[in-house]
Amino acid sequence: MNRKFSKQGALEISFPWLFAIVAGIFILFLSIYGVTRFIKTEQTTIDAKTGKEIGVLLNPLETSFESGAVTYFILPVSTRIYNKCDSIGDFGKQGIQISQMSFNKWTETNVNVNFQNKYIFSKDYAEGKKFYVFSKPFQFPFKVADLMYMTSSLDRYCFADAPGEISEELANLNQENILVENCSEEDIDVCFGGINCDINVNYDMGVVEKEGDSIYFYGDALMYAAIFSDEYVYECQLNRLMKRVSSLSLIYNDKASFISRTGCYSNLDLSFLSGAAESFSNSADISSIGFIADDVGLKNDANSVCRLW
Amino acid sequence: MMQIRFADYGKMKNKKSQLKIQQMAFMLMAVTLFFVLAGMFVLVYRFSQVKQSASVLEEQNSKLLVTKLANSPEFSCGNAFGSSRISCIDADKAMMLKRNIDKYTNFWGVASIEIRKVYPAGGNSTCTLLNYQNCSIIKVLSKNVNLLPASSNFVSLCKKDVYNEEVYDKCELAVFIVSSEDKRTK
Repeated sequence: MNRKFSKQGALEISFPWLFAIVAGIFILFLSIYGVTRFIKTEQTTIDAKTGKEIGVLLNPLETSFESGAVTYFILPVSTRIYNKCDSIGDFGKQGIQISQMSFNKWTETNVNVNFQNKYIFSKDYAEGKKFYVFSKPFQFPFKVADLMYMTSSLDRYCFADAPGEISEELANLNQENILVENCSEEDIDVCFGGINCDINVNYDMGVVEKEGDSIYFYGDALMYAAIFSDEYVYECQLNRLMKRVSSLSLIYNDKASFISRTGCYSNLDLSFLSGAAESFSNSADISSIGFIADDVGLKNDANSVCRLW
Repeated sequence: MMQIRFADYGKMKNKKSQLKIQQMAFMLMAVTLFFVLAGMFVLVYRFSQVKQSASVLEEQNSKLLVTKLANSPEFSCGNAFGSSRISCIDADKAMMLKRNIDKYTNFWGVASIEIRKVYPAGGNSTCTLLNYQNCSIIKVLSKNVNLLPASSNFVSLCKKDVYNEEVYDKCELAVFIVSSEDKRTK
């Protein structure tokens, strides 16, 4: 060892040792930096993978017909599932962004897992380990999509004064965080005609009031959507749904001309519905488009031989 | 107080010390290079695993999607052929979807969607608007990419047809085939 104390008490370090120390520190810092970056990348990978897995797991929910279907999933650590809705493009996008608790901090990621064919209604983010998702088909007047309502088990909703049909439907779901009786004070109150509730639903007018905002719905599927989601998420998803209504209307319109070669006449013009859905701007428009859809639906139902849907 | 004093190399008489410095410098470089290479191998391995799990997820997605797709509004019969039925595809609608497929290229996240008539067998002709009455395969979506193994499901393929000037519902047995893109080969 070339290190010794001189007579004056000074520590003598040879150049090779000093070089080794400096280089060692450099290598050590480089390794720590590399490992930190690697852990962050791994966390992002896990978040993205979890997001994709959730999306894949939701597929079986989208084959329901009349009644609602319910499922749940449990994640190993506390997780925030961000609902990222984007209405730009032909059909917009449903994004899922995951942030998980790691070393007592929420992981930060900008990786969105996107699906064009899903419509998830939830708060801006749902937090917890156990998440419930129930789905319901949205008919306008033909089936447009299966809407999915995602809630955390930490949020309990109370539908104590819901009308009979809704109360029955929700009770049949057997979803632990949706109660139709025996509610507690901590639960989120959903009132149908009551006042001073967390969420007020005017069923006849098609309005849901929450946090001072009014959002409009048409039919039960959209009513649940308005109850379980934030205003921004609801408006964005509704916009995406109207794009699909518009596109499906054109396909049915083409089908009407196509089957007319066999002598099968539907006598339906869906271009008006397509145009109305295309020009949708916010939920206040939904009832006027809904009337057009109902009219078209009645005409189609009246045609027993050449129904389009 | 402790002071650091450098050894005076100018006074070194033998070359052994200089050689040692060189040895150490080379050793440090070799160690650094080893760790960098090892790190790169780990990264490449992890990256290939991520690609593989992406493909596995895509495959799972297409397996679950095949049932879902047959019942999605763009394909399903609805009540157009009597009462509502599961796994029934409206061939007339599928043909119109094929015409408007540009919008739907990335909609389901799959690379290929095909409906192949099984019974009664009718050859291997791909359906167009001209040969619609006598064809077997409706290629709804066909991306020019490498495909993962296909997932399939038996379905009823129904359409409106005419016999003796009378409109009737013609339903046949078909296979609905869905494939995702293989991202490992990119």
